[in-house]
Amino acid sequence: MSDRVDQTLDCKGLACPMPVVKTKKAMGELNPGEVLHVEATDRGSLADLKAWSERSGHQYLGSKEEEGVLHHFIRKATEGEKGVEQRFPYVVDLKDLEDRYSDNKLTVLDVREPMEYAFGHIPGAKHIPLGELEERLSELDPEKETWVICRSGSRSDLASQKLHEKGFKVKNVVPGMQDWKGPTEQND
Amino acid sequence: MAKKVAIIASNGDLETAYKALNIATAAVASDAEVGIFFTFEGLNIIHREGSQQLTMGPGKEHFAEGFQKAGVPSIGELQDMAREGGVQMIGCQMTMDVMGVEKEQLIEGVEVGGAVSFLDFAFDADITLSF
Repeated sequence: MSDRVDQTLDCKGLACPMPVVKTKKAMGELNPGEVLHVEATDRGSLADLKAWSERSGHQYLGSKEEEGVLHHFIRKATEGEKGVEQRFPYVVDLKDLEDRYSDNKLTVLDVREPMEYAFGHIPGAKHIPLGELEERLSELDPEKETWVICRSGSRSDLASQKLHEKGFKVKNVVPGMQDWKGPTEQND
Repeated sequence: MAKKVAIIASNGDLETAYKALNIATAAVASDAEVGIFFTFEGLNIIHREGSQQLTMGPGKEHFAEGFQKAGVPSIGELQDMAREGGVQMIGCQMTMDVMGVEKEQLIEGVEVGGAVSFLDFAFDADITLSF
């Protein structure tokens, strides 16, 4: 996973409130959409960084523990992500997806960034980040209906418009993974 | 709108210094507006010399080692972080008069004011804490 982060912050050996204070500073220097990797040994950081991320509008992707070090992954919010604007008219909701996600006649396409996908995606979902969609269209089966999902419904909206232009049968899944209660899989 | 946290620090031991500065720096890191009113013995916490000599109080000396082991920042570092983070630090004028403390003896970035200067900030605070 370490190749998917844009910056790593060393907070090992530091006690509260240092991990939060340093994370705040580091996030200020990242570009929207980039991922910060925070290494910490303060066990309080597990609850603190998650709460801090949510309050600051950033996305807490997840954490893992290796040899006593906690690794946190936080994605900086992108402009406009908080106020979701949808234009693509053909949508399905999470209930529809829960009924159909394992259906072979359907491709579930996850257009989030690699780290977001790694920390939890719908079993069997195809992964192509929005930024790579254009060049990887050939990986999708135009015969199947494609249901596109992201975190909040906004990136999947753009992806749906693009796929629709290319002649795919598309539905945008709203709102997205942030409210998905069904099963998920994780990558290493 | 940003949350507003108003803190009163009225004790002058190391424990109080940590409680007040720790919450304050965490709060500004969470985008809150923070004001601390240092009054009575609490003035010690922003006193240039006094703040370097804070102790845990009788019977608690053994904590000092624990602080070091846990990697807790020093009071000086917390003061710097509070200042950089924009914590509004107000020294109590009345206490200064009583104790014969001059503004020059306080750390950089501290304003001096009376109870109303603090209340002016605290009236519309979301959280008020007293240590």
